[in-house]
Amino acid sequence: MIDAATLAQMNGEYVMPPDAGPAWRAAAEYGFDMSLVEDALRLTPEQRLEQHQRALDMVLEVKEAGERHAAK
Amino acid sequence: MPQNDKALLFRLREQNVEFVIIGGVCGVLHGASLVTLDLDICCRFSRENLRRIEAAVKDLHPRHRLTANKLPFELTNELCDSLKNIYLNTDLGILDCLSEVAGIGNYEQVLRQSVSHSLSYGEFRMLSLDALIAAKSAVGREKDLDAVRLFQAIKEKREQQKELF
Repeated sequence: MIDAATLAQMNGEYVMPPDAGPAWRAAAEYGFDMSLVEDALRLTPEQRLEQHQRALDMVLEVKEAGERHAAK
Repeated sequence: MPQNDKALLFRLREQNVEFVIIGGVCGVLHGASLVTLDLDICCRFSRENLRRIEAAVKDLHPRHRLTANKLPFELTNELCDSLKNIYLNTDLGILDCLSEVAGIGNYEQVLRQSVSHSLSYGEFRMLSLDALIAAKSAVGREKDLDAVRLFQAIKEKREQQKELF
């Protein structure tokens, strides 16, 4: 049986880390996905740049597909 | 149009361009979960350094991306002395070169507020997190102020966990 808190997390609820300070809480409340920032902070700067490149490639691919579709 | 920041950085380093990474890529290096579509650098606008930038991108069909006719990036001494910023489209993506950064100042001031980091393809300087916050706050656009919220959270986390970079 999955408890309600776990189910909420499965559905995307962010669990604020116990040491979250006011700026961290403010960014989360503003709408940033702070779980992504937590993940990024575990990486080296070089790994962050590589991860960004993959995300950017995907964004540009989707953008180009949209442009191709619009041109039809 | 692809955007390959690593390849652009590698080329700049290869030509010994004096520069500091600023803008969104700097934020990414500091740990921000943002996607940015260009590479912004602040660099020394000396003739020698601008010629190095030219050498770094010369085979990438560089063009002044904000000019009406997308003029080719071809430097003369006169042009070197007149330019304050260079906004380029290249085969490896957008490279914007600025002589100064809002909230920080000219290249020398940016350099003083930068930190060095070693990547596998070279040593690079980027704005410190505090300087990045100051720069984005000074620009003051909504998207920059959004980013400031994120940078402040990262700064706070770093102050709690000193081992983080």
